[in-house]
Order: sequence, then structure tokens, then C-alpha cells
Amino acid sequence: MKSGGNYNSSRRNFFKILGSTVLIVPFLDACKEKVVTFLIRLSGTNHILGHKLRVKNFPKPSKQIQIPYLIVGGGITGLSAARQFVKKGISDFLLVELENHLGGNSSNSQNKYSKYPLGAHYLPLPNLEDKELLKFLEEENIILGYDEKGFPNFDELQLTFAPDERLFYKNNWQEGIVPREGNSTAENIELNRFFKMMEEFRSKKDATGLYWFMIPMQLSSKEPELKELDNLTMKEWLQKQNFTSKPLYTYVDYCCRDDFGLGIEFVSAYAGIHYFAARKQNSSPEKTETVLTWPEGNARLAHHLKKYSTEKTLKNHLVYEVKIKNDKAVALVFDDKTKTSIEIIADKIIMATPQFVNQYLVEDRKQFTKNFHYAPWLLATLVVSDLTDNSSFPLSWDNVAHGSKGLGYIYNQHQSLQQVQDKKVITYYYSFSSSDCGKSRREIYKKPKEYWKNLVINDLKISHPNIEEVTESIDIHILGHGMISPKTGFLFSESKHKASKSIADKIFFAHSDLSGISIFEEAFHQGINVVNKVILS
Amino acid sequence: MGKNRVKFEFLLLFAVFTIATCGLVYELVAGTLASYLLGDSVKQFSFIIGVYLFSMGVGSYFSKFITKNLLNTFVEIEILVGLIGGLSSVVLFLLFETDFAFQFILYSLVFVTGCLVGLEIPLLMNILKDKVEFKDLVSNVFTFDYIGALLASILFPLLLVPKLGIMGTSLFFGMINVSIAIALCYFLKLELKKVIVLRAKAIVSFLILFTAFIFSENILSFSEGKLYGENIIYTHSTPYQRIVLTHNKNDYRLYLNNNLQFSSLDEYRYHEALVHPAMSMATKVSNILVLGGGDGLAVREILKYKQVQKITVVDLDEGMTKLFKTNQVLVNFNKNSLNNSKVTVYNKDAYIWTKACKEKFDVVIIDFPDPSNYSLGKLYSLNFYKTVQNLLHTDAVVVIQTTSPYFAPKSFWCINKTVMNVLPQIDAYHAYVPSFGEWGFTIAINGFGTHFNKVNRKADGLRFYNYQFEKYNYFNKDMIAKDIEINRLDNQILVRYFDEEWGKL
Repeated sequence: MKSGGNYNSSRRNFFKILGSTVLIVPFLDACKEKVVTFLIRLSGTNHILGHKLRVKNFPKPSKQIQIPYLIVGGGITGLSAARQFVKKGISDFLLVELENHLGGNSSNSQNKYSKYPLGAHYLPLPNLEDKELLKFLEEENIILGYDEKGFPNFDELQLTFAPDERLFYKNNWQEGIVPREGNSTAENIELNRFFKMMEEFRSKKDATGLYWFMIPMQLSSKEPELKELDNLTMKEWLQKQNFTSKPLYTYVDYCCRDDFGLGIEFVSAYAGIHYFAARKQNSSPEKTETVLTWPEGNARLAHHLKKYSTEKTLKNHLVYEVKIKNDKAVALVFDDKTKTSIEIIADKIIMATPQFVNQYLVEDRKQFTKNFHYAPWLLATLVVSDLTDNSSFPLSWDNVAHGSKGLGYIYNQHQSLQQVQDKKVITYYYSFSSSDCGKSRREIYKKPKEYWKNLVINDLKISHPNIEEVTESIDIHILGHGMISPKTGFLFSESKHKASKSIADKIFFAHSDLSGISIFEEAFHQGINVVNKVILS
Repeated sequence: MGKNRVKFEFLLLFAVFTIATCGLVYELVAGTLASYLLGDSVKQFSFIIGVYLFSMGVGSYFSKFITKNLLNTFVEIEILVGLIGGLSSVVLFLLFETDFAFQFILYSLVFVTGCLVGLEIPLLMNILKDKVEFKDLVSNVFTFDYIGALLASILFPLLLVPKLGIMGTSLFFGMINVSIAIALCYFLKLELKKVIVLRAKAIVSFLILFTAFIFSENILSFSEGKLYGENIIYTHSTPYQRIVLTHNKNDYRLYLNNNLQFSSLDEYRYHEALVHPAMSMATKVSNILVLGGGDGLAVREILKYKQVQKITVVDLDEGMTKLFKTNQVLVNFNKNSLNNSKVTVYNKDAYIWTKACKEKFDVVIIDFPDPSNYSLGKLYSLNFYKTVQNLLHTDAVVVIQTTSPYFAPKSFWCINKTVMNVLPQIDAYHAYVPSFGEWGFTIAINGFGTHFNKVNRKADGLRFYNYQFEKYNYFNKDMIAKDIEINRLDNQILVRYFDEEWGKL
């Protein structure tokens, strides 16, 4: 009785159509593209305020603040630095942030039905070597204890619920992100060979005992061989290893775009392999690739970190100049609310801001920051009344279409304990992979929201043909400088090294772009390390 | 005259076109219905296409014996095709019960429709052979024939079945068929003999089809009853499920989304086994929680203990609990338990409700649907049982319906092992419920102040449970599973076990 369910109402509809027209017309009607209207909103990082940095048309400071320590930037690095100050017993610091909220790329928004991420949305299980991170996760009750074998006991509610991933491949959903069902034997052999190589890389160490690939990056080996890897693109590396299978290239390309914003044609092979080999998968006995996630994404982690800078934060404050003056570090700050400027005089300043910003704030940095590339990102959160597909594998947390231009979507209510959801909320991810990120960025800001709506809908249509009819609203969020993108040669470059150097032991630099890989762990460690350095100096 | 001849020819060719379209639609309807009702769609479609094509050949063969009144016969066949083809799905739906006859009638109908359609084309060529050149004739007739077939095969899955349903589609095309016959009666009244009789036949047929079309929904629900093999006395769709109540002799059965929930003949076995062991071994029974169980049947059993002061029922589906509070037949089953003053019903999501609940209970009875999908699987997770533990007084007893240890031993012991991780004392037991088979339960005590064989109180008037728990907790070898993992939200291993075990049945 499969057609019995919606028989009633559809027949009434049919009569309506039949009443006014002949038989053939409804058929044509069904073929014609329906004009579907729904709410589209466009948002993004505050690039208008940010772009004022180029003109620097700010009022003269009318107020002065003296503080021992100043943190510029309220992303994960800045928040982590604040935490580390508190851990070290230091409380006389101030944090300034350009946006009206903290968290940077780990921010979120919410609608009537669910919270949803505006950037990073998960944390893979930490490496057991990463004691600092484990400690943080214990403090926040994400790790509830350790079992007799020493494995952390993660909170069940914060691990991704099953089923965690599915892939739309050859017109069917299958479990996992790796294309497995429907390959030729040769393709499977290549996939297995690739994963075997990655496994070897994962455990590979140099003579001094450092891992070739490690998180944080700083603890990775500095072998010259690795620098060579960094000079190749991931695609060149795959070709050098005689890989030819198309599903493998598509899969690796997806992974690189997902983690770095750049596809295999542009991303360095070191970074590409880092994605597979830096996570040691040693913190869980059985399931190795689990991640921690929350409906609001990593905004949850940012939220945990925020408590260390409450009452010490200035939001909507744009730092427009940082310099050494009279043996002090001085920051000139524009308060966007009162439209006045402040002069903050500090003993030390931590620049927890990306280098593309720092080049406008601190003198003589343009030279090396021009080698820092940031891929733009787009996130689209859709409210849908229903999410039907061909039911070959149930809706998962991460849903990816093999070979699609986008990066798939996250089902934001996946971590909900509820049986039924009124509406479903999904967040679609897209990164603009190109050799010239600046050019893509300029083009992106010119496009109208209709353009983005079509891009998102057309990509989702591959796996959900009726997506347009069931969509009730789309919130498009554009991140002009989504994340640092490790193009070839960047990770081991002189520019990156120079950009990390502090100025006169007064101005310090910390940001995940100085690690070269934009992940929570890097930012978290950047924050801790810079504070340790500041205290020592 | 030339203009008239063109009209004449065009009309008949249009008739060919509709016959081809309709004929193919009937064939597709038969194939689809057979796949729906009998399964094995490859076989069904293959047989039906074969029989249909063969019978068209038979029809073509017999066409040579029709020599007189060609045009009249043509119109009559048109009416017959419409009537038989149009009603075929109705007949098939109604006859589905009788298994052998169903297949026989299915193929008979396909055969007859095929024959009639097969007759039409040669007949038409005979009619037109003196009026049109043979070359044109063959080419035109077959062109229209094949276009019609293409149109039907495209329209059928894309528009007709989604919009009209199977039965509506065949009736609708029956009406089109007959309408063509009526149109021919009107336009060719000069060429036809006994037009009035013919027209009357056509109009009556049209009315029959139209009536069936209007009432097709009733036919459908009637035949749904046939599908259940019992008389449907009540159906109700809530936002969460479709509730169907059937009646057959002295047996009432309740189905939720086509899954049997209970049979009135033996549900006492299930509900006595679910409720009384826990109620008898608990140290106290004043405050009871029932999760799921919106049918009020477990509550009926709980109310047999006078010591009970308060019963809280949490069931997601308001439609379900409302039905069991108001429907006379159903209220007779649960002895009006949901309207008892001791009972409070919350129509809330059990997981969310449990998380928010601050109260503590003496006995918790968990009667959720089987873990057949990832949503339901959450209600059997380690985290859920930890949440439930927060609602337990010391020495409180929890009992959980745990699917069949015979059909799904892995699933059964997976739930048991998961609960074992949370509560200090645990056991499992099972009972035979004829309509379900061997059915099992997990029982656990939040402390050591009582034990499983303890009987602190008894209720009167039980028909099945005799308060000898030790008679129910023995499991034969075929109901044991080893190396079972714990069900967690992040692995949902239970749903996989369940799918694997029930999927192979």
C-alpha cells in the first residue's frame, strides 16, 4: 500500500489542476521549474569595519588605558592565551576583539530549531601525547576520567552520535566518507595502498624521536625530506606515487578542501599528508576516527574558554595600530560603539590576530605576510521541512556527495536526544579553492545572495532532488579569510618563521596561521605557548 | 468528402493512440500492483509484460474472424478495454486475500486486456484499408501506437502514480478509454449502426468507472483491511505513526506503522510479564514511572496494587494516549486505566523528559518500540540508562522490554549488557506470547536491598504470571549471544544488531 499514504490530498490537488486544464498541461507543469520563494539572508565576518584598516581614518585617541598585558583578537588563540594567563596566576590583562562576539572561526548562531556553527564544527579525538589539550578537556567535563588501560573516557553526549558519516557515491548513500562500494578492484587496491602509506606516515619518526607529522606542528620533525614534501603539491605527490584511481583523487581532494580550503592542485603535500597522519588515533581503543562535536560546533569550546576573560574583554574594538613607544607596547584602538579611539599602553602585547590583519597594524610586515594565503569560505544554513533522499543510508552527522563542488553538509540536530524534529537544520560548507585567494575574495563580495542560493541549492540537488521545495530559509555566511591555506612551500618558509618572531620582547605573535594549519589544537597551543614566552621574557 | 475522410481517419488514429497509452498503463498497473502485493518485482514485471505481449498476439490472430460490423466492434472493444482495464486494479485490490485466485485473476485480466488491445490494431487497419493507402496506413497506425506507449511509460511513474495512486490511475485511464468510445459514437454516428445502444453502453460504463473513481479511497481502506487479513475497525494517523485497530472473531489487534503492538487474546501474557516481576520484588511501589506504553495496558496491571499512589506515563504520541482514554473498545482493554486519578500522562519526548525530571521513583517500566532505527536506538543507550538511574530511589526496580531473545539474541543481550554497566543488580527473563513469539525483558535493581526472587507483594486475578521469577530467567542455548558490545550513542551498535537479526527473517 505504498501509494496509500498521501493519496488523499494529492488526489484533491489533482482535481484542482484537472478542473482548469487538460491532461497534458499538468505534465508540462511538473517539468517546468517551480518558482520557489524562501528567505535568504547573507552575513559574514565584519569586513566593512576590518577594511577601515586600509584607510586608517580614525579619530585621535581621547582616552588612555594602562595594563600589563594586552591580547589583541578573541579567537581561539586569544582566548587560550587568556586561559593560560589565569593558569599562571596573572589576571591583569585585557582582551580586545573587533567583532561583537568572541570565538573567531569558532562562532555560532541559532534559529528557532537549533544552534548551528558559523565556522569550525568539530574536534577530532586528541592525541594522547597532547597533555595540555587532554587537561583542558578534563576541566570542561568532555573527558570524564580514564579507564584502567589509560584511555580517556569521553562524554557520550559530546562524541558524534552514530551514524556519523555518509557519502553519496554512484547515486547511493554509503556509510563513511571514503568511497568503498562500487569501486573496481584496481580502485580498491589503490585506496588500500594509499591508506597503508598514511598509516606508515602516522607512526614515522626522525632520528631525534620527533614524529614526521604531529599536532601541534611545532612538535613535528624538521627533516629536510619534509621540506621537499612541502614543495610538492598533493596532486604531484599522488602522481609520483603512481596513483591513478579517480575516486582516490576525488576523495583526497575533498579532504584537503575540507581541512585547508585548497584542493590537491594547490595544497602542499606535507599538509595533505598531515591531514591523514598527524592524528595518532591513540585515545580510543576501538573507534579510531571519532570526533567530538556540538550543535553549535567549536563555539562550545570557545564558550568554555571565554570564562577566563570575562570582565576583561572589549568587544567591537578595532585595533588599528601597534607600536613600541617609550619602551612600552602601545595599541591604538577604535571603539566602534562610541566612535572614539583609545590608547592602550601595555608592557607586552600579544597579537592573536591573523597576519593579513597584522600587516596593517604593525610596521614592516607586508614583506612576509604577502606569502600568507587565506581561502574564502561559505557556510549556508538551511531550515528544511523534510530531508528525503533515496534512503540508501540514513541521515548522518556529516553528509558528503562524492565529486561535488561543495564539502557536503552537517546535520545540526544530530546530537539531539529527541526522537522527532519539527524542522531539520543543516549547514552546508563550501571553500573557494584557487591559486589566487585574493582574486576569489574580491569576486565573492560582488556576488548577490541569489547567486549563492543557487550555488548551494544546485549542489545539494545532486543528492536531494527536491531540496528547493522543502527549504524554508537559507542563512549564508561568508568568511572572506576563512583559514590559512598551506600552499606549497609555505609551512617551512622563511616568511612564516619571520612572522612568528616577537618585536623587542614587547610585541608577540600567536595565531594558527603561524602554525600554517587552521585547526583548534594549533590555535589552542599558540595561545599557551605565547603566554609562556611572554612570562619568560 | 475529403475533409470528412481526414476527420474520420484522424479520429480513429487518435483512438489507436489512446488505446496504446491506456493499454500500456493497464499493464504497468498490473505489474506495479503485483510487485506491491506479491513482491519480487523483477519476476512480476517480466511475467506480466510477457503475458501482455503474448495476448496481444492472440488478439491479433482472432481479429481475422471479425468480418462484419467492423466499426461497431471497434467501438465496443474500446468500451470493453476501458471497463476491464479500468476496473482491473479495483478487482485486484479486493481479491488480494485469496492468494491463488489472485494470481490467476491477475493474469486473466492482463490476458483479456492484451487480447482486446491486440484486436484493435488489425481491426482498425481493416476499417481504414479502403480509405488510406496501405503504406501510410501501416506507418500511421504504428507511429501512434508507439507514441502512445512512450507517453504512458513516462507519465506513469512521474505523474500518474504520485498524483492518482495505482487505483486512481487505472480508473482514470478507463474513463479516458470510454470517453473516446463516446466521442466516436458522436462523431461517427453516420457510419455506425445502432448508435443509441452503443452510446448507452459507453455512458453506463463511464458512470461505473467514475463511481469507482470517486469511491476509490473507500475501496482502498477496505482493501487495506484485507491486507491485514482482518477487519479494520479503526484507523488513525498521528504526526508520529499510523494506528490501525483490527477485529477478527474475538481477537482485536493494534498495529503501529504496520507493526503488531498487541493482540487482545494474549496481551495479558506480555503485560503481566512486563509489570509483575518488578512490582513484586521492589521494596516500595508508591511512585511508578512508565516510559512509552501509551496504550495504558501496563498501567492497568500496575493499578492492581493498592499500594500504588502515583503513576506517571510519558508517551510521545498524544494521539495514541488520547485514543486509549476515549475510544470505547480500547478503554475496555485498559480498564480505563489512563483516566484513573492516580495516573498523569505527559506527551513528551521520553529522553528529554527524563533528563529534566527531578522526581524519584520506586519502579520504572520502559516499554519503547523495538530499536529499529537510529532515533529509537538512542532510547536504549548507555547515556539513557544513566539518565534513568538518576530517577531511581535506592533499591528501585527497572524493567525494560528487550525484544525477542529467540529472534534477536544479540540485540537482547546488548541491551542487557548496557544496563549492566549502570545498575548494580541485573537479570533477564522471557515469556511466551503467541502473537509475538518468545519475548524478553531486562530487569535491574538500583541497590542490594532486595533481589530478583523476592516477592514483597502480590496482586490478585493474574492469568499468567505466578510470582515464581526463577521459572522465567533461564535461557536455552539458542537464546544466548556472546561477544556483545555496549550500546552507546556514538556507536549505536544495537541498531546494527537489530537490523542484522530481524532483517534476515
